[in-house]
Amino acid sequence: MVVFDNISKRYGVHKALDQVSFTVKKGQILGLLGQNGAGKTTAMNIMTGCLAPTQGRVLMGGYDVLLQPGPAKRMLGYLPETAPLYDEMTVEAYLRFACRLKKVETKQMKKHIGQVAEKTGLQDVLGRKIGNLSKGYRQRVGMAQALCGTPDVIILDEPTVGLDPRQASEMRQLILSLRGEHTVIFSSHILSEVQSVCDRVLILHHGKVLCDNDLDALKHRENVLRAVIAGGEQTILPALRSLQKVSRAEVIRGGEPGVTQVRLMVSEEGAERELFTLLSALQAPLLRLQPEENSLEDIFLQTTKEQK
Amino acid sequence: MGSIWKKEIQSYFYTPAAYVFMGVFLVMGSIFFSVGNLTARSSNLNMLLGNLGYLWMLLSPVLTMRLMAGERQQKTDTMLLSSPCSLTGIVLGKFFAAATVLLCTVACTLIYGVIIAFWGKLYVMEAAVGYLGLVLCGCSFLALDLFVSCFARSQMTAVVLGFGANLLCWFSDIVASASTLPALKNVLNFFSLYQRFEPFTQGMLRFSNVLFNVVFCGIMLFLSVRVLDMRRWSEA
Repeated sequence: MVVFDNISKRYGVHKALDQVSFTVKKGQILGLLGQNGAGKTTAMNIMTGCLAPTQGRVLMGGYDVLLQPGPAKRMLGYLPETAPLYDEMTVEAYLRFACRLKKVETKQMKKHIGQVAEKTGLQDVLGRKIGNLSKGYRQRVGMAQALCGTPDVIILDEPTVGLDPRQASEMRQLILSLRGEHTVIFSSHILSEVQSVCDRVLILHHGKVLCDNDLDALKHRENVLRAVIAGGEQTILPALRSLQKVSRAEVIRGGEPGVTQVRLMVSEEGAERELFTLLSALQAPLLRLQPEENSLEDIFLQTTKEQK
Repeated sequence: MGSIWKKEIQSYFYTPAAYVFMGVFLVMGSIFFSVGNLTARSSNLNMLLGNLGYLWMLLSPVLTMRLMAGERQQKTDTMLLSSPCSLTGIVLGKFFAAATVLLCTVACTLIYGVIIAFWGKLYVMEAAVGYLGLVLCGCSFLALDLFVSCFARSQMTAVVLGFGANLLCWFSDIVASASTLPALKNVLNFFSLYQRFEPFTQGMLRFSNVLFNVVFCGIMLFLSVRVLDMRRWSEA
């Protein structure tokens, strides 16, 4: 649905994006993650045609955003970091304008605005001036304009910035409700947010892609096992370190007495069988064994640290 | 383009911009009419139209300041740039919206002609040429200020730049008279909007002056599109 093909963007000598490539499939929610200045907003502005890349091209449903802007932009809805709102307009007049920009048929417009307002919870404020709305409602109006014209691709640049926790949670629910029906590209530097909303994460750092993976694969990418074993650390730990398919074994302190908790970094397939055989020989019962999920925060910090 | 035009017209009348523009223009126009025509017992409408031309120079930045600089200041330009509307459509929609407000203002001044026709002798064709000049001159200022507004990040800057550009184009023949370089003198005389407007106020319809104003508007609008496009390549 979206192809970001070898994009570079320079501002003078500064490289904001450096040969960034990725594709987003239909119905997927992609989280763009990165520290401030990583290039997330630049990438989004290039995707939407607000900025032109120094090199590369963006395809939106097969249409080049720069060369065929009409059909390409008809497929997208964009909510920038600062919602593009005209304070002097009423919410309804503003959504009507957004619909006209997206070429929604005049006959369908009223019904469509009603649907978008219902989705974003704006039914009660349609007649109010945007300038008089709270930050939460303003962000919803921004979201509503992005949904006008039922675009296939919705691009959201830090949509929860400045919202209180309840409003942020509502916004996340709204984004989740778009799953399947729309392709969503969503940027944030709040890791838990990306974790709760996205199917796939792309980490940008200094304009380069550091990591691009499905969230599940990302969480399990190091294949770490956490084991709870009955027995003393002195006997168990050296034995675990002798396993061929385990690259590292470390004790987790603070468990029950007489029980050893360990983290095992698995280097090859079949480490579980090797572990069971070993513990059986040692007559040390295995009380629990589970794969350890990396939190996105761990992955993000680890990935960006490696690149410094 | 139609959607942009409609939105801009709404915005002009939702905000004080159109009211300030029309109000100040009509108050000043009425003073000129009262002093120059009623008190002086003159039926020369074109003299009044000539004076009204000066008001475009002062007031047109009020209409154009928000068109580009305002969008940039409020960060609403992203909505337009990411929409299927072309850059040309955006610029033309905005220009025609401002021109519509200008035409409405000019339409209000027809009352002066009606008063003169009722109490004295109105030379209709002469007045029609004067009005054509007034509208063309106003549109030239709007196009110039729209172009200037593309460079500004705030509405205040757009107004100041607009005044500067208007003064330069209006009085460039005066600057030309001080120039010792013949080539520069010719160029400055050529671009003087006042020189192009004056024949209309004398009831003289010259095709070259009409063409100049139309081409001037076209060039300014074309340059505005180019500036917007260039900004996509260079802006941080």
